[in-house]
Amino acid sequence: MRHALVIRSKVALLAFLLLACPGSQAVGQGNGARAPAAASPPDDGQWTMAAKDYASTRFSALGEINRANVSRLKLAFSFDTQNRRGHEAAPLVVGSMMYIITPYPNHVWALDLARGGRLVWVFRPRPKPASQGVACCDVVNRGGTYSNGNIYFATLDGDVFAIRASNGHQVWRTSVADINKGETVTMAPLVAEGKVLVGNSGGEFGVRGWLTALDAASGKLAWRAYSTGPDADVLIGPQFKPFYAMDRGKDLGVKSWPPEAWKTGGGTTWGWISYDPATRTLFQGTGNAGPWNPHQRPGDNKWTSGVFARDIATGQARWFYQSSPHDHFDHDDINESILLDMPVGGRMRQVLVRPGRNGYMYVIDRGTGQVLSADPYGFINSAKGVDLKTGRLIPVEEKVPQEGRVTRNICPAAPGAKDWNPSAFSPRTGLLYVPHLNLCMDMGVIEANYIAGTPYLGAEVKMYAGPGGHRGVLTAWDPVRRKAAWEIREDLPLWSGALATAGDLVFYGTMDGRFKAVDGRTGKLLWQEQLESGIIGQPITYRGPDGRQYVAILSGVGGWAGAIVSGQLDPGDPTSALGFVNAMRDLPGKTKAGGRLYVFALPQ
Amino acid sequence: MSSRSPNKLARIGLAGAALLALGACDREERDTSRQPKPETISLASSDPRAKEYENSSFHISQGQRYYSWMNCSGCHALAGGGGMGPPLSDDEWRYGGRMEDIVQTILKGRPNGMPAFEGRITEQQAWQLAAFVRSLSAQPRQDVLPGRSDDISNAEPQTLEERRPQQSESNTTLPSAEKD
Amino acid sequence: MRRRLLPLLPLLLVGSACSVDGIQSVGGRDGQGGAAIADLFGIFLVATLLFAAVVAAFLGAAALRRRGRRADGIEDPEGSGTERPLKTGLIVWIAAVAIGLFGLTLASHLTDRSMARALPDPASALRIEIVANQWWWDVRYHFRDPSRDVRTANELHLPAGVPAHVTLKSNDVIHSFWVPNLAGKQDLIPGRITDLMLIPRKTGVYRGQCAEFCGMQHAHMALDVTVEPREAFERWRAHNAAPAVPPTNALTRAGYDYFTTRECSTCHAIAGTPASGQVAPDLTHFASRRSIAAGTLPMSRGHIYAWIADPQGPKPGNAMPYIGLEADELHAVAAYLESLK
Repeated sequence: MRHALVIRSKVALLAFLLLACPGSQAVGQGNGARAPAAASPPDDGQWTMAAKDYASTRFSALGEINRANVSRLKLAFSFDTQNRRGHEAAPLVVGSMMYIITPYPNHVWALDLARGGRLVWVFRPRPKPASQGVACCDVVNRGGTYSNGNIYFATLDGDVFAIRASNGHQVWRTSVADINKGETVTMAPLVAEGKVLVGNSGGEFGVRGWLTALDAASGKLAWRAYSTGPDADVLIGPQFKPFYAMDRGKDLGVKSWPPEAWKTGGGTTWGWISYDPATRTLFQGTGNAGPWNPHQRPGDNKWTSGVFARDIATGQARWFYQSSPHDHFDHDDINESILLDMPVGGRMRQVLVRPGRNGYMYVIDRGTGQVLSADPYGFINSAKGVDLKTGRLIPVEEKVPQEGRVTRNICPAAPGAKDWNPSAFSPRTGLLYVPHLNLCMDMGVIEANYIAGTPYLGAEVKMYAGPGGHRGVLTAWDPVRRKAAWEIREDLPLWSGALATAGDLVFYGTMDGRFKAVDGRTGKLLWQEQLESGIIGQPITYRGPDGRQYVAILSGVGGWAGAIVSGQLDPGDPTSALGFVNAMRDLPGKTKAGGRLYVFALPQ
Repeated sequence: MSSRSPNKLARIGLAGAALLALGACDREERDTSRQPKPETISLASSDPRAKEYENSSFHISQGQRYYSWMNCSGCHALAGGGGMGPPLSDDEWRYGGRMEDIVQTILKGRPNGMPAFEGRITEQQAWQLAAFVRSLSAQPRQDVLPGRSDDISNAEPQTLEERRPQQSESNTTLPSAEKD
Repeated sequence: MRRRLLPLLPLLLVGSACSVDGIQSVGGRDGQGGAAIADLFGIFLVATLLFAAVVAAFLGAAALRRRGRRADGIEDPEGSGTERPLKTGLIVWIAAVAIGLFGLTLASHLTDRSMARALPDPASALRIEIVANQWWWDVRYHFRDPSRDVRTANELHLPAGVPAHVTLKSNDVIHSFWVPNLAGKQDLIPGRITDLMLIPRKTGVYRGQCAEFCGMQHAHMALDVTVEPREAFERWRAHNAAPAVPPTNALTRAGYDYFTTRECSTCHAIAGTPASGQVAPDLTHFASRRSIAAGTLPMSRGHIYAWIADPQGPKPGNAMPYIGLEADELHAVAAYLESLK
């Protein structure tokens, strides 16, 4: 009781301090953009899902650590995960417990925050070792979700688990993916309306992408929506009202492919799902079309490289927008959708903001799927823009990769202007903090051979730094004014997520292991700490059982960008790791493999 | 003058002999027709088929073609730098680096993700692939290594690559029990 | 002896243009371009023969002409006073040659121009993509609706009177696409896309041939071309866009099982089955083709057996390996392939 009182009084003091802070009023106005209240409830100091809330803001209202005191941030405790692969997950904080999901073999560690991060239990799901061979880009896992007393997560080999958060006992286990076809699961499931939403990875293996909803209580299949094939499989019915003419028609998931090609056509859902409780609609991006060689799949290749709005109860599609029809460059569209209500053209609109892989920042009407704007946030020479009348990306013909030759200097490269690593939105500044890439590539395509369970690519890629020579950028994007407010250039690609807090701080990490806090208004570096291994995880913040604010991050380099270190690849072969190694030859000299949780706080 | 004359004759004779010797040059024998030769001695010692495949440019370049066709390059990269699968161009062999070990790896698969190709490719193709895999770390004789791929590729021609000669049999390492 | 036969060489060339069976004939008038070229060839032949005859006549006259004599009766190597008409003749000859060459150039130019003008818009033509490999042809028909696309190998079906825009690519070395009855040669060059417009006028069965030496089995890299009425072509297209017929009896089912789970499916595709290999000829409607292995063997049960049992026998060096099938497997696979009409 006394404990709670202390917390409450501290929060009140904090709120007062924030209001009293002279600069805060101007900042607090922002630009009129905010997350819808239903999808972004008041902060409870926990971190129960990777994206913080259904609107995917990754914003915490905790402001104890702020621009003034962040320079005094110190390590509170750390924890070795005993895993040396790429740690892309966001830790979860529920009550006084923290949960960490590691890369394969996907151990779940439960730590007691009240006792300095002491280990309470560990859950070992024992996924099939063969699944490592069909994981395209390191054996990563992007985290789990807490809901209703359970932790939900998926293993690399495609089993979804529900385990009791209190003791780590298994509640149910459902196998959703088949590794013999090349399917794996790396995403963090989302739980909403009693459904666990999970999709497959394997767009590099000629799998057929899907999103599956399991009943959260029993683990039974509720529905499965494929990304290719007949309307019945894609869950397209009378509710489906796409905004653009290119998406209207019967069975486009079959007709926009050569015969049979849709069966190995990709469109996996391995990224982020957002959910709007007000309309009970989920927003799901679909991955690249398979194989990478576009000449093997003439047509628009529906419904790959786009975003679906679906009814969460039935999975029925409401609308679809395809950002890269007939994808040329492995430009998945699985990046996060941030739900915002903001002024567009003078009136408030309910929108999705999507930093696309193709380099355009899409603002899409949540209700209709209309693209309101699409502005480049990185360097693009592979497209001329987005035609807002037809919704189509306008490709640059000479950058389309051709068979038997190498097309040089395609920007952005295969991982896009931004890959999976999620952005954060602060309503206080109105800015979206986008950690992204500045990479270009040479690409040649050859006929890909389909053998189930082996890669289905048909592309030879070499990546390198884009204009300017830096490989990573943190862009603070103003979605209302449709331009960057500021940006920070990083030498190495940014492969970590971002976190925004009410202290007007933005946290992110670099691949050489620097964990940084910058001023959310100006981008000024305020604090940094050198960690043992490169950072590709998602920073989070929470209120500890003692009422103080903590910031946590997993360090452990790997992923597609860091596979050169975690997989000990040969830098002498530029095409290693699907061509990413060519851009990362210096990484082994800058960091080492690792796996450790770091938690920071202000000194008491 | 007179003393140079026999010299000249000798030179002409030498040139003639060299020309004649050219006639002895023949096309390399291409055995496209049959299965690998049956083994004649026990597996305990190195397989006699190993040298036959490793010492043949034809077999190595066939292996290079299959390396791309059977999607080996998707996981292990064009020049063996690795990716989803471990690198093949370095001096570390998780499951042994002798020809017969590599053939076993290809045909039977390995637990940490290497799929089994037995029944999906012929045994001869597996041996040709193994010969190419060893060429990625410059194990076979330099003069049989293919200078370039028979197919178009974004990789540097192998002749332009730095080749690191490595010991072959000794540096086999055991697989780590669990990679976590 | 040899020299005496030399003047007959042009006749031999003319002879070769009129092939005996007509399925691979350079003088063919079965394609629109081919006819124009054949006409031009006729003009060139007549003109050059005419000039050749005149040259031969002069040579003969020169050989017979006696040397000139001076008035005193002594031979004069410088010639006699009768040279003047010869000089005029020479000037006339030079003028004739100049006019003749100009005329031929003009004829060539006009033919070229009329052919270029007659070419239909590629956008309205049937779109066909041919990819050459050592040593077979990968043939793909593209339509506006990609789900109607057809993929086949070593055969080309064309509707008569409909222009077909053929884009040509190569996966390995330089090849050359040549269906002499329909059009001239066009090279397929790795890393480049070349194209050719085929406008077949007459229905019939023709033979295409790789016309650029491309390796050991260059001679066994042929293409069966069928020009048929539009309705027949549409029937063929619809049939070939459909998936393969499922196996109907125990034997073909065993063949299906072997094909889809073993070595075959690593490289070959059969639409409608799990076999999806892309690096070897598509076999979806294999048995409906006229030949096996790019014109190496005529299509027949015996040849299917022979080919599967030892592909390196009839076509040494080709990419299909010797598998060493057991007798029952051979029976089953051959029966299954034979059922793929």
